[in-house]
Amino acid sequence: MLRRGVAVAGVAALLAGACAVDDDDEPDDGATDVAEGGEDGEGDDEDEEDGDSEATGETDGVTFDTGVTEDPCPDAVNPDNGCIYLGVLSDLSEGPFAALGIPLTAGQEAFWQRVNDEGGIGGFDVDISTYTRDTLYDPQEHSARYREIEPNVVALAQTLGTEPTEAILSDMDADDMIGAPATWWSGWAFDENDQGLILESGYSYCIEAQIGLDWFGENVAPPSTVMAVGYPGDYGGDSSAGAEAWAEANDAEFAGWVETAPDAVVGSQDAAIGQVVGSGADVVVLAVGPAEAAAIVGGALAEGFEGQFLGSVPTWDPALLDSPAGEAMTAVYRHIAPWEGIDAETPGHEAIRESLGGELPANEGYIFGWVWSYPIKAALESAIESGDLTRAGVRAAVDGLQVDYEEILPPATFGGDPNDEAVRTAVINQPDPEASLGVSPLDVGVTGATADAYEYTAACA
Amino acid sequence: MTELISSGLVRGMGIGSTYALLAVGFVIIYRATGVINFAQPALMILGAYATSVFATGVGMPFPVAVLAAMAVLAAVGMATERVALRPMVGRQPFAAAMVTVGVLTVLFVVAHRLIGTQVRTVGDPWGLERASLFGVSVAQVDLAKIVVSLVAIGAVGLFLARSRLGLAMRATSMDQEVALAQGVNVGRMFSLAWGISAALAALAGMLVGTSAGGFEAITALVALKALPVIIVGGLDSIKGAVYAGLLIGIAEALTRTYQPRYAEWLGANVDVVVPYVIMIVVLAFRPYGLFGTREVERV
Repeated sequence: MLRRGVAVAGVAALLAGACAVDDDDEPDDGATDVAEGGEDGEGDDEDEEDGDSEATGETDGVTFDTGVTEDPCPDAVNPDNGCIYLGVLSDLSEGPFAALGIPLTAGQEAFWQRVNDEGGIGGFDVDISTYTRDTLYDPQEHSARYREIEPNVVALAQTLGTEPTEAILSDMDADDMIGAPATWWSGWAFDENDQGLILESGYSYCIEAQIGLDWFGENVAPPSTVMAVGYPGDYGGDSSAGAEAWAEANDAEFAGWVETAPDAVVGSQDAAIGQVVGSGADVVVLAVGPAEAAAIVGGALAEGFEGQFLGSVPTWDPALLDSPAGEAMTAVYRHIAPWEGIDAETPGHEAIRESLGGELPANEGYIFGWVWSYPIKAALESAIESGDLTRAGVRAAVDGLQVDYEEILPPATFGGDPNDEAVRTAVINQPDPEASLGVSPLDVGVTGATADAYEYTAACA
Repeated sequence: MTELISSGLVRGMGIGSTYALLAVGFVIIYRATGVINFAQPALMILGAYATSVFATGVGMPFPVAVLAAMAVLAAVGMATERVALRPMVGRQPFAAAMVTVGVLTVLFVVAHRLIGTQVRTVGDPWGLERASLFGVSVAQVDLAKIVVSLVAIGAVGLFLARSRLGLAMRATSMDQEVALAQGVNVGRMFSLAWGISAALAALAGMLVGTSAGGFEAITALVALKALPVIIVGGLDSIKGAVYAGLLIGIAEALTRTYQPRYAEWLGANVDVVVPYVIMIVVLAFRPYGLFGTREVERV
């Protein structure tokens, strides 16, 4: 009987641990009452209750409804402006990517603050704080929180994670809700996967792996055996597919994809380390979390592994330089990034630094959040220009949308042929204790023969 | 053979001795109070955090930092018992166990607040260094885990067996009313049990935090692996906790080392389920665990 009790309580303990949410990280719900269109805000309560706003408004020839008000935003920078509400579904407390999600959201807030400081967009300020929600990188939570904020926002400034985003895609489609992903899954480039709703920026994990291996082959030594280590799903799977495609195109041996999971799930990375060491690979492509990446790199080197590592964007955290694996990371790990780090000399980077006021963010997530905001801004501007700021109008603006990233990335066009439009450039970084965020660029604007020639006709994984 | 010793036995004993350390903490509280303490994972990660603060923040010598962290967590454990568990004396053990689930939730939130989302390190001296054991290269940290855990468990065992307080704790665990009649301050024994258990959890947290990639708040969930260990060893047996911890640690390590090579068809991360497979097998033959006391019920 007692043992049965222990088992039941064990499950309860697991659930309690998983559900322990830091409510203070969420915005004050008290500020979330009014977010519907209408000149006087009437009908808001009803709209929130049934979750299906039909209230419409018009100002200066721009039609709007859900998620846009003629009333100013809470704590408005421009009190005479109306307000555009954007939602944020992120990992802000206990999920595996919270270390990225928090600065990422801060970067987006800074981006929109700058937009508001410059007068807003077409007579509207933009608010992303009121409908920011912590979804713990959990698809179910993501879906529940999406339903909660959907009646009040015109678009999603951020939807973090491939699987969580996939969990709300059908709802987004039904709601005409576009969003910026905090993920680099290759599937976002294809309408059959995202219905044209997801406005991605930069390369995909799949192309990232290929560019990294191209760079390694040209700058270090052509690898004869490559391996991938990653989390199951579209992050590790996409990266692994890229590594495999590279191996096939270059007559190299693909030593396989080692599926691992966060330390909290598997206890340690010993299984992955054993397989890496036994593989004899020249290069291992990592698509895991930062702590796990360090454990694998450090553990493999300590056990005599002589190959090198290429890490996907989320594998790096400046704190790793102080970990026991810091020295090993500096020696054999290279980080692939979709754009340059905080010290780069572009107008966009300059604006980022200005927004920080001389401080440094916790990691590159701040820059990711900033960059991912440009397409949503462009879509809103385009919708306003066409006089239709309804969700359907914003969605319609995506096809052919031109996005200027202030030189952080080359200008992008949405809605064309993915094979033509896909971003195939990257930055290769190396750990560097002297650098602002622990990495400095080895090579920028990196392209590769395999990545350039890759026929991008469907999601890699 | 080298791989068997280095990646199988020594690595497995290193992991297993950490499980044993956590499991002994569970057993001590269970023996004293009849309650399974589900807050142990949170105490463990707070111990890792305290070690990190003392060693890398304050700059204390590492052994001093570890002892200081154990002392702090012992105080936290005793305070937790006094505030949250003492009012449950006389209630059903299941109800008290559920209170510890609540304590886990609270302490887990505290741990998240303190640790944040960044990777932290405990500042241990072993790092990725290797040592030679009978001519086989093994990780120093694995040897450290074995030595530190077994020394700590041995010290607790000696304390329970030889000291007056230990005798009083054992008397309390056998029969609280009789112990009370003999002048034992039972409440104090409960408090002491929580203090020792939390200190052991802090030590285990330090050992878990020696991972090459450091630790995060979510690493606390690793401590839940001690649950199958206490079931396999027997809920009330310190000896059982040690043997079961080592057994499960070695079984995990051997699975990690050889399963991908010889039984790839089983899929990835099979080692994660190994503790539970062992638990089911043991329970099928020994329902009270390998060294647990058989419960006698009057009918």
